Amino acid sequence: MDLSPDLRARILASTATAPAPTRAQTRRSRAIILGSGLAGALGVFFYNGGVRLTNRPPMLAALTSLGTAVCAALAMYGLFTKRGRSMMRRPATILALIAIAAVGAFVAWRFGVSALFDRTARWPTRPGFKCLALGTTIGAIPLFAALVSWRRTEPLTPFATGAAFGAGAGLGSAVLVDLWCPVSYLPHLLLGHVVPVVLLAGLGGLVGRYLLRLRRL
Amino acid sequence: MVSDGPSEMVEPCGADEAMGRYSRGDDQAFAIVYDVVAPRLIGYLRRRVSDGARVEDIVQQTFLQMHAARGSFVDGAEVLPWAFTIARRVMVDLSRKSSRETPVDPGARQETSAAFMSAAASGEEVVQAHETHRLFNEALDRLTEPQRAAFELMKVEGLSLEQAASVLGTTVTGVKLRAHRAYESLREALFGERTRTPPRGMPSSNPATM
Repeated sequence: MDLSPDLRARILASTATAPAPTRAQTRRSRAIILGSGLAGALGVFFYNGGVRLTNRPPMLAALTSLGTAVCAALAMYGLFTKRGRSMMRRPATILALIAIAAVGAFVAWRFGVSALFDRTARWPTRPGFKCLALGTTIGAIPLFAALVSWRRTEPLTPFATGAAFGAGAGLGSAVLVDLWCPVSYLPHLLLGHVVPVVLLAGLGGLVGRYLLRLRRL
Repeated sequence: MVSDGPSEMVEPCGADEAMGRYSRGDDQAFAIVYDVVAPRLIGYLRRRVSDGARVEDIVQQTFLQMHAARGSFVDGAEVLPWAFTIARRVMVDLSRKSSRETPVDPGARQETSAAFMSAAASGEEVVQAHETHRLFNEALDRLTEPQRAAFELMKVEGLSLEQAASVLGTTVTGVKLRAHRAYESLREALFGERTRTPPRGMPSSNPATM
């Protein structure tokens, strides 16, 4: 099989004439897009009332939020960063395990700490749908920002990467919802605080499958 | 300005550094990346794709994708596994029916047959080496795609376990398992049809160390 003798020259010439942002330019544009996404998320959060202690002791709210934040931060590190010196992300099974572990940990933390303060009673008027709507809305904005920021860069698993972005956004929104919601009844936590993570992971996967994958140039 | 000829031979780690410079805006560095990565990609693709024009298309698309995503290149990252991953994706996208085409170009298999012939001295050994080579290729074609990919990336392309795992999107343990199964299948095919002593003229008697 003989290849064209001018293949090298042709490829280098085509890349020389096609503009591509440098790392600094990419970082700048991503910072703007992601910053806008985070600002939007915070805007929704504060529009809906922001931090609400209601009848929670401040220490309880601080402890549960801190624990949720730690779980979310650790998970985001695993979900968003690449593996070692690789340009590829972690395998899909590892990403799924990270997300599941983080969700389990923050539910256990929230419920466990609330139990210490005897605050796990059922709230009949708060089944979890408000938290579900708020968490999903808050998380969707930075999720789309992330998908747009990394569009057309995922050669291996665009669905899994998008789902990882979604799970990360969901965990981040869970931190804010934790500050907003005083209910620690377990079924409420599952519906209102865990389901948004699942929904956002699914949404991220479906949209990421198209936005993140490589397109013919 | 693009030069006509390749730059001097650069180690893969030099290509990593060159890609890092390219991502920061040093446009001349991409030629270094090309000169290190392209021969490896072309060799790999030739074993998979029979059409020379398609190989060129995949190579061109791969480097265009790397160029377009240069802003995303992580400082210190390895460019070779990344290039292989992109090339595999481009190859799959271009070939919807099957990601693996049986190479029909005899030249594509000559690289591996040379390894079998190199140690052959007598005419009998040449015949034996031909037969071994035939058995090896048949056994390779019978491997599942994940097993074959793991074997080729590690034993033919020389990628490490970690690099092969990142290219294939699996864990190191997953790659080890696939490679082990590939070795077992090849060993069975090569030594199961003969006595347990390896044929003369073969560079290595143990497929696991090929």
